[in-house]
Amino acid sequence: MEEYHSSNESTFHSEEADSIVKECIESVVGNDDYSQSLVNKWTAGIVERCLTQLVKQGKPYKYIVTCAVMQKTGAGLHTANSCYWDTTMDGSSTVRWENRTMYCVVSVFAVAIA
Amino acid sequence: MDDDQTEEETAFVVDEVSKIIKESVEATIGANAYQHSRVNQWTTSVVEQCLSQLSKLGKPFKYIVTCIIMQKNGAGLQTASTCFWDNSTDGSCAVRWENKSMYCIVTVFGLAI
Repeated sequence: MEEYHSSNESTFHSEEADSIVKECIESVVGNDDYSQSLVNKWTAGIVERCLTQLVKQGKPYKYIVTCAVMQKTGAGLHTANSCYWDTTMDGSSTVRWENRTMYCVVSVFAVAIA
Repeated sequence: MDDDQTEEETAFVVDEVSKIIKESVEATIGANAYQHSRVNQWTTSVVEQCLSQLSKLGKPFKYIVTCIIMQKNGAGLQTASTCFWDNSTDGSCAVRWENKSMYCIVTVFGLAI
């Protein structure tokens, strides 16, 4: 109940961002197989689409969207991130997605504008 | 003269940040070979070291540091990022590093307060 009380505008809602990101990945990559010639277009397409959808929400935030697409060949991949910001207003969300031939990891960072 | 000085203190200086990143990566994984059991510790240590060096700079910035470590076995990896911010005050810096058994990509985003 407290969530409804505090201003909806000044906290980052990661569930909303999660669903936006999943929808963007599915629409850009969907069922395609990993292709070296297309992967550049995919990563650019995913980040741009996510950003456009996030900005449409009209909240007072700066956004950073990162996307990594990796071919499935058994290699190990590790990612980490660390943030120095205002923990009450800023937030992030990471979505891990995969299909038969590739992994896709998208992170969204939202930093409140004072 | 005064203007130049204040700008230097409140701007995102890519060279400075790039140096900090390179030092953190070398200090953490330097000559090590990819090890599944330790890579978790490495990525955490790289981002934390970068972040503490960056905050020591004392500039009015919020920072986001991301690190990717990938084993070299022929897989293709593509990364992209896009930012919605203030072009005149905010900036980013990405450093790609590798040794015989792994690749390490570290990106720092700095957003002016």
